Amino acid sequence: MAENTNTPISRRSFLKWSGAVSAAAVAGTNAPVLHALVPSEKKRSGKNTELKYSVCDMCLNKCGLIARVEDGVVKKLDPNPKFLKSRGMLCAKGNAGIRQLYDPDRLKYPLLRTGKRGEGKWQRISWGQALEHAAKNLNKIAEKYSRCGVLFTPGSDLQSTFVHRFAEVFGSYNVCTHESSCLLSRNRAYLDTFGEVPSADVLYSRYIITTGANPFEAIITPDSIDLMTARKNGCRLVVLDPRYTKTAAMADEWYPVKPGSDMAFFLSLANVITSEKLYDPKFAEEKLHGLEELTEHVKQYTPGWAAKECDIPAEAITRIARELAKAAPASMVYPGRRTSDYTNSTQVRRAMAIVNALLGNWDQPGGLTAARKVNIKSVQLPEAPFYDDNPEDRIDSGKAHMLFEEEGSFKHMRDGIIAQEPYPVKGWLVYKYNPLQTVANRNKTLEMIDRLDFMMTVDITMSDTAWMSDLVLPAPSYLERQDPASALQGSSACACVVTRDPVVPELFESKPAFWILKELAKKMDLGEYFDFDLDSYRKEQLSTMPAAPKALAEDGVYYNPGQLYGAYEGKVFRTRSKKIELYNSRYEDLGVDPMPVYRPPREVPEDRFRMVVGRNAYFTHATNHNNILLYELMPENGLWIHPVSASKLGIKDGDRVVVKSRVGKTELKATFKKGIRKDTVYMATGFGVISKGLSNLVGKGGCMSEILDDFADDLSGNMAMHETFVSISRSAS
Amino acid sequence: MKKRTWITLLSIILVFSLMGPAMAGKEGNKRKGKHLYRTTYKACHGEDAVPVSPDSKTQAQWKRVFKKKQWDVFGCEDKWNALSEDDLNDILSYLHGHAFDSPSPAKCK
Repeated sequence: MAENTNTPISRRSFLKWSGAVSAAAVAGTNAPVLHALVPSEKKRSGKNTELKYSVCDMCLNKCGLIARVEDGVVKKLDPNPKFLKSRGMLCAKGNAGIRQLYDPDRLKYPLLRTGKRGEGKWQRISWGQALEHAAKNLNKIAEKYSRCGVLFTPGSDLQSTFVHRFAEVFGSYNVCTHESSCLLSRNRAYLDTFGEVPSADVLYSRYIITTGANPFEAIITPDSIDLMTARKNGCRLVVLDPRYTKTAAMADEWYPVKPGSDMAFFLSLANVITSEKLYDPKFAEEKLHGLEELTEHVKQYTPGWAAKECDIPAEAITRIARELAKAAPASMVYPGRRTSDYTNSTQVRRAMAIVNALLGNWDQPGGLTAARKVNIKSVQLPEAPFYDDNPEDRIDSGKAHMLFEEEGSFKHMRDGIIAQEPYPVKGWLVYKYNPLQTVANRNKTLEMIDRLDFMMTVDITMSDTAWMSDLVLPAPSYLERQDPASALQGSSACACVVTRDPVVPELFESKPAFWILKELAKKMDLGEYFDFDLDSYRKEQLSTMPAAPKALAEDGVYYNPGQLYGAYEGKVFRTRSKKIELYNSRYEDLGVDPMPVYRPPREVPEDRFRMVVGRNAYFTHATNHNNILLYELMPENGLWIHPVSASKLGIKDGDRVVVKSRVGKTELKATFKKGIRKDTVYMATGFGVISKGLSNLVGKGGCMSEILDDFADDLSGNMAMHETFVSISRSAS
Repeated sequence: MKKRTWITLLSIILVFSLMGPAMAGKEGNKRKGKHLYRTTYKACHGEDAVPVSPDSKTQAQWKRVFKKKQWDVFGCEDKWNALSEDDLNDILSYLHGHAFDSPSPAKCK
């Protein structure tokens, strides 16, 4: 295990690191730059201490923090007490951000592939050479195949807006974000029911059901913190999960629901609420569309019927429905986030949204609330050119009934690139996105890469995706960057504006995405569309909020006053019927069930298990497993398997096992868990890496994306990762 | 045979009803429409102007604006009158596709 020192990096590990760098790279180390990381004892006097505001980037919550900087070195990250979205806190993962900054495995200068893809042979090149190479290859693809021949995949990052801008200016519609591996089906369902995607007012709720969500481990601010406070205040928590998660451990009731049958439970709740008329008649009359149709539709879904489908007792379903309704409107089915699970995941979330609608909790304390206006100004940049010779649409267009064009579907995009249908896509620009670890079916992503003429990645470390690239460009961490302003929604906590300024200068030769794209645009005769700097851009963003710059400087956050509850009073919903749509006529027009119809999940064959995906509190996607402070908490993943199921296969706790699906196989240790269903297995994401640039992780654990099967939600194109069946056997090795 | 003809006819009606904007009988190029909309609007109001958001009206309202050529919604009516029917159809496809009650309501950024 690597040394854990109190200073950002010790002299001993620095020497070890610089030796490794020399060996790995063709060129030598950059001593003056590296020296900045190893302040002399004199410099460590602590006399020159500064406190600087920033915003965390260790997950997607963007929590406010204060960096303690001594003589130019970040010594500690503390929470910003004025940052209400995290209720003034910074989690342990946020604290570990210091090791993202001072990570010996960081990318340090532009690298050009010299061997075969994935062989790990690199040549250090200058930024000038790197930009020239990128511009030449992108232009070549644009000329040969059209500008839509380049795929852009921005990760979830404050600078990703500039990747979208570059793609637009370059002329490609093929932009695909991380979201199609995450929450698109939830967004689709709530947009198609309420006309917008709500926040959950967890803090003031009196009764919460979660399914497919684990907020005490997959931390979401303020929800995770608020749920703990709400529990102390008497909020009842019912958890449906095939795994005994930490959220399940803290719940009043835990039901190890049969995977894929959640919809039966929620339709049955709707059955009880409508048949016993437990809803608010005034709310129903004024705001619900299709109550009669729904009441008739859910008559078939009795608790007795649902009990057989989802393995939750009928009496419990009836009781929960009545308790939920009694606590309404301060009760909810928690919408959750990652909903990339089944081929009908939008309809499953529609069923959940419909129960929320019946509870009349919209716009109410303890219920679901609409986004508050934050008022950041949209900066008007020169209109991007229109390229007449482009294909008419995205490569994944029409592959799902209701695709979000801003997000795309990685699964459908990848299929199109492999088949080269409806047109060839031959280039890929990746920014802080690692689909080789986070997207189902790694082998298919590798196949897609095989089809490409050119692939470039901008990232902080050598992710698996960077490892397969032709050109790798080093990005700074969030503590070294100036970023645009960004609006955050935090239910009852706030709606606020955050931004970042460098806490310390950029290390090594790293350059932010904005600089890279601006310079690339110049080289491609598109410079006029990036003729602005970040200072003026942000000033323009904040021009509609005169108090914002001062608040950001003094408090590290700006709160825009705005109404939370009752914001919809006197307003119509953004749906066809202008009401909350229990019955969706647009779905009907598309040949889709206008109300969710239960269809049982595919049965798990006798000799197989269903694989489920879930997060823990240490890691975000596949971004920080190599961070030494977090790596020490979980140096490898294990396969959660029930001891009874394992013993039938002759597997003992800790045995190395082979997990095999239709699309791939991986090896890792078996971890016995009585708190998982006998027909289900689980493993953490982000291990079994192919990159040799993540020194802590090489050879550790099994790769989840290697075995996840290749399905998508019919409506949104979101990945459907829980459709994976695996066989388990003891490893021969 | 008769049954098949009816099914075909009904299918055509359904397809056209789903096409939405369809001014000239075919759906426009929404991406070209976005570009045309924004450049036409800004040619009138200046480069820094934020165009009227697609989600400021319902799909039915956008159809009505284009059917009745109510260009006062955008200002500079002469610029809108100068656009070809194909261009207008492209613009309507964009606005209709991101209207207030559309599956993907969009603010003009």
